[in-house]
Amino acid sequence: MRRLLLRLWGVMTSRAVPPVVIGIFLLVYIGIAFFTEETLVTLIGLTSKSVVLALLFALLPISSACRLVAEAVSYLKRRRAMAGTAVPDAAELFDEAVEVPAASLTIAEQSLVGLGYTTRRTEDTLASWRGFSNFPARMVYLAATFCLFAGILISLTSRLSYRSPIVEGDPLPADVGGGVVERISLQPSSGMILSKALTMEVAPANPGEAHRSLGIYPPSMLRGMFVYPRYLGVGAAVRIAAPDLPDGFGKNSILNVYPPGKEDAVEIPGSPYRVMVTLLEPEDGVDPFSSGRMIFSVKLVKGKDLVLAGKMATGGAVSRGGYQISFPETRRLVISDFIRDYGVPLIWTASVLFIVAAALWLPVRLLLPRREMLFIDHAGTLLALSRAEGRGRGHGSIFHEALDLLEAGGQGKLPE
Amino acid sequence: MLSLPYKMIPFLLSWGAMLLVLLRRFSAHRRTAIAAGIVGYACGEAGAWLLFHLYSAEVAVGVMKSAVGVGFLLLWSAAVIAIYRSTGRGFPSWGESVGRTKVFAGGIALAAGVLMGGIVACRLAGTGSGTIACFVAALAAVVLAGAAFVVEEKLPDLFTVSPAGAMAALVSLLLFTSSSIIRLDLFAPLSMKVMKFAHDFVHQFFESMLIPDHLFIRSYLWGYIGLLFGKGVGFWGALAIWFIPVLLILLSVNLERLPPVAHIRQGAKRRKMVAAAIENRRLRLVVPALSCVVFSLAVYRSTFPAVEYWDPKPVPVTAAANGEIVIPKKGEVDLEDGKLHKFLYRQNGNQARFMAVMTPEGKLTVVLDACAICKPDGYGQAEGSVVCYYCKTLIPMDTVGKPGGCNPVPVPFTEKEDGVHLDAVALVNTWTTTVQSTTRVKEEGK
Repeated sequence: MRRLLLRLWGVMTSRAVPPVVIGIFLLVYIGIAFFTEETLVTLIGLTSKSVVLALLFALLPISSACRLVAEAVSYLKRRRAMAGTAVPDAAELFDEAVEVPAASLTIAEQSLVGLGYTTRRTEDTLASWRGFSNFPARMVYLAATFCLFAGILISLTSRLSYRSPIVEGDPLPADVGGGVVERISLQPSSGMILSKALTMEVAPANPGEAHRSLGIYPPSMLRGMFVYPRYLGVGAAVRIAAPDLPDGFGKNSILNVYPPGKEDAVEIPGSPYRVMVTLLEPEDGVDPFSSGRMIFSVKLVKGKDLVLAGKMATGGAVSRGGYQISFPETRRLVISDFIRDYGVPLIWTASVLFIVAAALWLPVRLLLPRREMLFIDHAGTLLALSRAEGRGRGHGSIFHEALDLLEAGGQGKLPE
Repeated sequence: MLSLPYKMIPFLLSWGAMLLVLLRRFSAHRRTAIAAGIVGYACGEAGAWLLFHLYSAEVAVGVMKSAVGVGFLLLWSAAVIAIYRSTGRGFPSWGESVGRTKVFAGGIALAAGVLMGGIVACRLAGTGSGTIACFVAALAAVVLAGAAFVVEEKLPDLFTVSPAGAMAALVSLLLFTSSSIIRLDLFAPLSMKVMKFAHDFVHQFFESMLIPDHLFIRSYLWGYIGLLFGKGVGFWGALAIWFIPVLLILLSVNLERLPPVAHIRQGAKRRKMVAAAIENRRLRLVVPALSCVVFSLAVYRSTFPAVEYWDPKPVPVTAAANGEIVIPKKGEVDLEDGKLHKFLYRQNGNQARFMAVMTPEGKLTVVLDACAICKPDGYGQAEGSVVCYYCKTLIPMDTVGKPGGCNPVPVPFTEKEDGVHLDAVALVNTWTTTVQSTTRVKEEGK
């Protein structure tokens, strides 16, 4: 059992896992591309439904987590070795290992100090190092990789989403609290990214709850669901009258007519009529959604014939020859997606961690990469170990010359 | 027919270069490699010839194109393995001993020969050449194999080929030869797939990360995001996919660890060993670097194909008072001559460009000079197909008139004795709906 677990651990910490898994997904992608144009969407759909593909994808975050643990263990072992504590299989923790006859370490220590290395001496070991380790950057990078793949996996397999309009004066859907939307406002934004600031003020649904103000980004959250505004529109009470509709017809409609100029149609069920509505460009240049001064261009179409056309504001009407269209009431609305997705925060976290990892790694790698040597005197033999996270050729040369110096009993000197 | 031998020169030169690489890579099994290569070539040519004669050209070309695509995927795998091996320890060393066996050498040479033979057969089929041309090409390939066998022996030891380098060379030569056959070219369809992927990825990313739509984003920023939806992304993305494997192989050679020398106590000997290893590493860069050049040539041939497309200037047409456009079968143009004919309809500031063509089954069809996916750059006619100028996708002639993908969008029409009849309003509506914001009517033929 222990051997099996060790073998499993070996597989999960292998650097081969991510390229193999990604390669398999690439092949699946290519395979899907032969059958459909919507390849990515199909692959996402397949992965979210197929247990096999989801498990395969799960290898990515698991492998990242395992590597994080494995590399942390290696780092701690190496630190202990550098501190002079006996560590089994110390040679595996370094890039280069060689055994030479035992010699006095004092000469090597003095020479390495002269070359800018910091040294630590115990009774039978000499450790020397320069620069800073990239271990913290590596840990942050692996944590970011874990968060990214875990986030994608969670998002793929558990995302719930539905679309619903948020209408001024109407309550929100019950599963997000149901508070009444008191006001929707749209104002120009001075931000570098967003051009508009959308605010939806929601009254408390129950005593003791606070007022909520929902915005665009970062998306607001209500009872564990993100509110993702998609489009702006107008909720209108549409009334029509026609000679062959003696009782008239009324319907509350969601008009997807924003930005101004966009046309939407309201079908009148059981009749040949259709109302075409366009929100007109404002004459004063102020966004009609912001100002509330909305002028509509309306057309009543019967079959293929245009029977009525005109312009009107909220509360107004257009009529001719027995036909009439009126909007007694209009309200602002925001067509929004309500999304439960626990993967999104993980992916955001991953983005931040990737930036932190890059910020940590780059200066250390370029300016002061870690270089280490460890000499262990053991029963008449000297085990010499070396590793470098950068500038390896120069460090290797010093290491080799240090070995020469030890063997020559201190005759000569290390290269500058 | 006189120009056929001239057109075959790049194919035969590529074949010779492939053999040189194979012989040097498998220098311990030279005879096996050369014999397997020749057998493979003959089998490939014969197999493709049979495919062309037993099935449709589409099937034969599809099989060859898939095979070349698989080769490219294998190169990607080899490149990733090479870079992983060179940048760290602990990567499994599967197959290292297998790679040195006679069977492996023969297998690789056989596969390379099959692919090259198949590509040559596709080229000859495209020119309508017969069995004799195929036989002559096979004979030339055998002669070249003999020459390569002799020449390789005389090449200096400096000509060193690593396993990944050999893979890069073989695949680059296969892609170079296939890129000169428009139906086998991989780069143009790759560009289109990348463009589509970039579009889908950005869309999915925005949706997944709950990023607001263009309605709320500053226009300058949206302008930058819009670059991700352009043709340039397809081209540059495809270039990246095209070159990354060979660049990874170059990098992997450059990053290879130097041999351990800590056990050597003479500094001079150590330095000599390290210098020799560095020199050897540099020599192994030569073949992947040359492959990079061959990959570039393949892109050039794909981007500027040496093919003349039939692309007539659109003929202006008008609608009658009842809104009907009538195009006579035998008028200014002959609609039944099998050639593509383009027309341009203009009225009240609206315009639509469309084409009429007789399909190989003898059916007249009318389609827009635009598809539902790409910018309306239009189509040209090549052998047995039409090509979308925007994404370079080839549409078989027998599928023109059918909707979907990059096919030209069909237009409703009626075929009568006097010609084809179209409704002008339906035509303009179809055009406007299809091209939407990317409308750019091309008035002149290319």
